[in-house]
Amino acid sequence: MKRLFPESTGYKTLYVSIAKRGGDALLREIEARLGDPFKGLYETIDVPYTMYEIYRGTELVGYIHGVNQKGSYGGIQVFCAFDTLGTVRAFYLQKLTSKGAKRFREESFGRQFVGMSLADFYRYDPVSGAETPPGRVSAVKNPAPEAAADFAAMLRATKKNLVLVDEFLLDNRHLPHFKPAKGGAR
Amino acid sequence: MIGIFHIAYKNLLRKKTRSVLTVLGIALAAWVLTSLLGFNRGYQNSLNKDIDNLGYQMLVTAKGCPYEAATLMLKGGTGLRYMNASIVDSIAAQPEVESVTPMLMQAVFDPNKGESGGISAYLGVDPATFPRMKGTLAMKSGAWFTDPAAREAVLGYEAAELEQREVDDMLLIPDLDVEIRVVGVLDRTGTQDDGTIFMPLAAVQEIFGQAGELTGIGIKVKPEADIAAFEERMYRLPDVQVVSLSQVRNTIMTLVSTAKVMVFSIAIIAVLISVVGVVNTILMSVMERRQEIGILKAMGAKARDIFKLIWLETVILCAAGGVVGSALALGTAKLTEVFIRGVLPFAPSGGLVAIEWTLALFTLGVVTLIGILSGLYPSWKAGSVRPLETIRSEVE
Repeated sequence: MKRLFPESTGYKTLYVSIAKRGGDALLREIEARLGDPFKGLYETIDVPYTMYEIYRGTELVGYIHGVNQKGSYGGIQVFCAFDTLGTVRAFYLQKLTSKGAKRFREESFGRQFVGMSLADFYRYDPVSGAETPPGRVSAVKNPAPEAAADFAAMLRATKKNLVLVDEFLLDNRHLPHFKPAKGGAR
Repeated sequence: MIGIFHIAYKNLLRKKTRSVLTVLGIALAAWVLTSLLGFNRGYQNSLNKDIDNLGYQMLVTAKGCPYEAATLMLKGGTGLRYMNASIVDSIAAQPEVESVTPMLMQAVFDPNKGESGGISAYLGVDPATFPRMKGTLAMKSGAWFTDPAAREAVLGYEAAELEQREVDDMLLIPDLDVEIRVVGVLDRTGTQDDGTIFMPLAAVQEIFGQAGELTGIGIKVKPEADIAAFEERMYRLPDVQVVSLSQVRNTIMTLVSTAKVMVFSIAIIAVLISVVGVVNTILMSVMERRQEIGILKAMGAKARDIFKLIWLETVILCAAGGVVGSALALGTAKLTEVFIRGVLPFAPSGGLVAIEWTLALFTLGVVTLIGILSGLYPSWKAGSVRPLETIRSEVE
């Protein structure tokens, strides 16, 4: 906590889940905003998310939230620290099993995400891996080309993280940037 | 016509507060007694289930390495001791042995696990014997290995959840860069198996360069075998040590038995206090009603009738307390379990407090019996009241 927010003096923990906040309808909305349906046995509507509000005294200075994402060889845990507007101020891999693990863990890789928000990631499609038009997400360099699937998983995890934080903590402030895909949610 | 039960009941209602407080005292004692008996039964059942789930009654390890998991935690997988696989045949040849299953635990340090790295452990098991011995393990999806040396893994429920693996997904053994295919995911068992990654023994031996080596051998003993004598013989084997699970069970039971004796003593004291309370209540009631009893006798009631009336009052009080206490114990079993889990040093998985209807009825029977016994003296005292003396004392 102190590493991501050196100025912090305390934090509050919030426990939320899609099932409790809005059920199936909310899940479909979140999937549409992510651009990819939730998959597998462990990415489900009832997954409990633990979100942290960071304070300096009584002033809210940001948020921390981590998500699980299926990688090529195991679960990847992607944590992001956000400012109060939902902009990434730190990117951190808590757990990672990958052939490119060492390079993904280098600070230079995480630094590429700093300053991005959901407005940038809305243009990124986690299914095709393309950003239309190319922007800041396309500019993120994969340091381990042999682990392209894990790189793509990290981008999807970051977008999922941003969508969840926007939904649960930021009153959907980035929703105006969202352009639904033709045909609605996939 | 008013029956004797009705009269006894009406008599108790004449002093409602006193009767309710007495019933409450008995109910508390019955509640404590039922909960403790339920805990005794539940704890033993859960412990036995946990040990039975292991599938074997004895575990043989190399000398100096009694607990593989503890070694992994303390020494990061570097302190494991090995024994030669040839010992399996000599153990299997013992007449008491039904089956044996060899195991090899291996671990690697994964620098990318968590904040400062962690240990990833793999348990090599014999596909021919291990699943059969661990009959309680059920597959959530997939199946056991396709080949005794296949680079495949079966994951415990929590291991699969943590790694987000499903059947046909891949695992990577860090450091060695070896890929393993997931072929099965187990159902949740509530035991250490949930967090285990199982692989074929031959594959683990090959991948980690430990051909012919083992870290453990599970032994299932024949039901009719003399386990104590067999254990004694096994203890004499050189270079290995034997961990008997019956020994583990006894050690754990000894650990908690001191606490249990104390709590049972408290329960017995609670029951004794409630007995004294009942005797006191009924005696007070008899003393207050001496004139009334004298008049009843003067009108033709026999000592036997008075004895029966007072006795019945006692039994009604105790039975009511027993019903309330047993119901309370049934209703608060889950809460009791939460409390016990909070204070007990080692609690096995599964239900710790097993209160069934039979147990509730047993407690009701015990409390009613206490009522029958504790009512004897006050009833005799009431039955022996002399009518003329009591009526005269009222006149005076």
